[in-house]
Amino acid sequence: MHLEPSRLVDADLHLVNRLTWGARPRDLERVRELGEDGYLEWQLDYAAIDDPLVDRFLAEHPVLLEDVRGIRRALDEDYGAVYQQVIWGRLYRAAYSERQLYEKMVEFWTDHFNVPLPDMVPEKVVDDREVARTHALGRFRDLLMASARSPGMLIYLDNTFSNRDHPNENYSREVMELHTLGVDGGYTQQDVVEVARCFTGWTLDQEWRGSFVFDRNRHDEGEKVVLGHRIAAGRGIEDGLQVIDILAAHPSTARFISKKLCKRFVSDDPPADLVDAVATTFLATDGDIRAALRALFTSEGFRAARGTKFRRPLEAIVAMLRALTPGVQVHDMWAASWTLERMGHLPYNWFPPNGYPDSADPWLNVNGLLRRWDIAMVLAHTSQGWTDGAITLDLSAVIPDVPTIGELVETTWRRLIGQELDRGTRATILAALGDPRPTQRVTQEFREERLPSLVGLVLASPAFQLT
Amino acid sequence: MSRRIITPPPAATVSGCNEYRTLDQRGVTRRTFLKGMVGTGALLLSRPLFPNLPFVAFAQTPREVDTLVVIFLRGGMDSLAAIVPVGEGAAFYDRRSQTAVPESRVIDLDGFFGFHPALGRLEDIYRGGHLAVVHAAGSPDPSRSHFDAMEYMERGTPGVRVTETGWLTRHLQSVPWTNDSPFRAVAMGALLPSSLQGPEASLALESLDGFELNVPDHLRPDLENGLRELYRNVGAGPAFQREAESVFSTMRDLRRMADGGGLERGNSGALGYPETSFGQALRQVAQLIRADVGLEVACVDLGGWDTHEEQGGVEGQFADLLSELGAGLAAFYEDVAERSNRLTVVTMSEFGRKLEENASGGTDHGRGGSMLVMGGGVSGGVHTVWPSLTPAALDDGDLAITTDFRDVLSEILVQRLQNPSVDSVFPGYRANYRGIVRPGA
Repeated sequence: MHLEPSRLVDADLHLVNRLTWGARPRDLERVRELGEDGYLEWQLDYAAIDDPLVDRFLAEHPVLLEDVRGIRRALDEDYGAVYQQVIWGRLYRAAYSERQLYEKMVEFWTDHFNVPLPDMVPEKVVDDREVARTHALGRFRDLLMASARSPGMLIYLDNTFSNRDHPNENYSREVMELHTLGVDGGYTQQDVVEVARCFTGWTLDQEWRGSFVFDRNRHDEGEKVVLGHRIAAGRGIEDGLQVIDILAAHPSTARFISKKLCKRFVSDDPPADLVDAVATTFLATDGDIRAALRALFTSEGFRAARGTKFRRPLEAIVAMLRALTPGVQVHDMWAASWTLERMGHLPYNWFPPNGYPDSADPWLNVNGLLRRWDIAMVLAHTSQGWTDGAITLDLSAVIPDVPTIGELVETTWRRLIGQELDRGTRATILAALGDPRPTQRVTQEFREERLPSLVGLVLASPAFQLT
Repeated sequence: MSRRIITPPPAATVSGCNEYRTLDQRGVTRRTFLKGMVGTGALLLSRPLFPNLPFVAFAQTPREVDTLVVIFLRGGMDSLAAIVPVGEGAAFYDRRSQTAVPESRVIDLDGFFGFHPALGRLEDIYRGGHLAVVHAAGSPDPSRSHFDAMEYMERGTPGVRVTETGWLTRHLQSVPWTNDSPFRAVAMGALLPSSLQGPEASLALESLDGFELNVPDHLRPDLENGLRELYRNVGAGPAFQREAESVFSTMRDLRRMADGGGLERGNSGALGYPETSFGQALRQVAQLIRADVGLEVACVDLGGWDTHEEQGGVEGQFADLLSELGAGLAAFYEDVAERSNRLTVVTMSEFGRKLEENASGGTDHGRGGSMLVMGGGVSGGVHTVWPSLTPAALDDGDLAITTDFRDVLSEILVQRLQNPSVDSVFPGYRANYRGIVRPGA
């Protein structure tokens, strides 16, 4: 969907809102301190950023660090608890990690190499850690290789069942259509067959089915031709390795990945010259994801696209949690996950292999808008016990005391949106608060009754939902 | 003000615990997770929701127009396993050692084809002449990509990827009447399918129940007005204003309906809807039809048909899905029985599957599929120009397509939905009518 850019968003806020899961005041302070380039470089070098909250989270949820066997054991003890921890782990790290761009890229690759969680919890946890989280800002070839060997992917797209007598085409087709070349990337049905033959034998260990093995007995050793490259007969795992090299280095892959990056980080209909520039960098740097992002975020096309991305439901909810920091405490994530379920965006619960949609079209609908407004209102009104204690919010830790209602509206807007409030919106919000005079004093009663409404309205507003 | 708990309050009341946690602690998979939610929905819907009388009149729609329910079987449904060409004998069975139902177990349709026994609940409807089976149907575009093939079908333009509107949207745009009901076109689900994309307002709803903002009642008017005003002035584009307005009209009409009186039929649980999101979606479509809220087209999805492995034969995952499909369609048809003369249901899937099984006890993406058409105006029976399964007749090794999906949809639109310009729905396509439906009165 084409969305018109907004004149109300300044460059710093734009950069922070796109690089992070939602701008908080201290994120904006940071970009002003480091400059836009400095901020980008700081976030790209993510391993150097201390991440104490996430470290503590993982220490408290050690199952997320286990291997397939360990996670199976934990599931046998309490399936629901583990399942919840995995989903909460996605929300928590998005909301509270200091490595925000890294977490955005983890999300990007999670969609790109989609592997759903239900029925595959152990494999998905390992896949998340070893594929997206290991290579999010690394080299594309390494990422593709990790995914090809991931137990989750091997099971999900059936390669583990493929053998030389009956090569299974599921992974073979999707690795070209969705992971690398794109559907118009220049492959044929014959290439699908040949790639399937190359990947025969790429399967899981017999004992635990928890780690990759190459089983030569299942492998088709005949000659293959993939995208015009002759793959000699008589080889083993090298066939699949060569396919990965061919696909990772293919110009169609550079273009396909660059276009997806631009759609995610710039706009639903990114300018063609920007896509070309990012693709050129991707190709020239041998698939260096950092370099591609640097080309993207420093471009004019990026700067011009302010306010043109409609937050996906998960992004909207995480941004609300960030905006309400440090007043909000999530004691139990059910309200958030229930809402995400009803909006069609529960993490790791997309079943086709193409990942959750990116553009606004499928998300901007009646159901999605209502649920989005509703969670904003519910979060803001938690002081009234509406989430049954699952989420608590101390608004005094978020919105400072100010003397007049006009100042309260302006302060709340600045605090939650990160920019100044325009006159028209100010009048609309005042009307929705019972139409008080802006010069009226903020009474205790007003703070208790109307401040939650104010916060809910701001979080539900187009300015918050469009970044 | 009473203390309220956000969705789903009845579940919290019933279980004494929130639904999400309860379900997960039982250690359930996604599938049963959904079933659990549906169970909750059934509780919600057993209380008054829709009245006997139409409280909201959008009656510009001519009376003789059918309501169309489109069921998309996502993943590529194996029509050769569902509607078994037993008459092919060895040409079929020799290629299908694990995924074919033996002749002795099929429900005979016409001596040549037989239903998989999991479709048993459709037998009476078929024998009653209200179910047409269109075999070897599909899209002329040879793509075996799920996403391309689905897009081509849902946009109604095979091979053309830039079509901006869905075929159902173009149908709604091209009929001569207006209908400003927010329930004119409804997709049961969180997201709007491509067939309904475009500038006609369509509604995606995962549930009819609880479509409200959880705000204190005495603040509700202020907050709703505020939101409406904030979205009226979005500079990003008109879609925001349109969708936001639809939120309010939908809430208003659902309130009117809920205030209107008792549920006209409280025993829909006895109809045997599957306890799944698919069954629940069909049940709610039936409620909208009975509530006379101006519903013209409804979309319901049933996914999971991408059976590359362990598809099963008489029993197994494919049989379970078919059973869900058959039970859902049968329960729905019974639920709206008194309106069946003004109803057409059509199923479609992006492609069929290969004739030859793969090594995983499954089937890979193929070509020809099938469509089922159900309704009071349907000419029941098997409608197919069967291409046969001899090697020369196969399309790249698979069942060929002899009926373009647009033939079936065009016929339905023209004969049952009174569309006067089906050209604008399927531009440049000249449909061959198969006599699948009778002209409406």
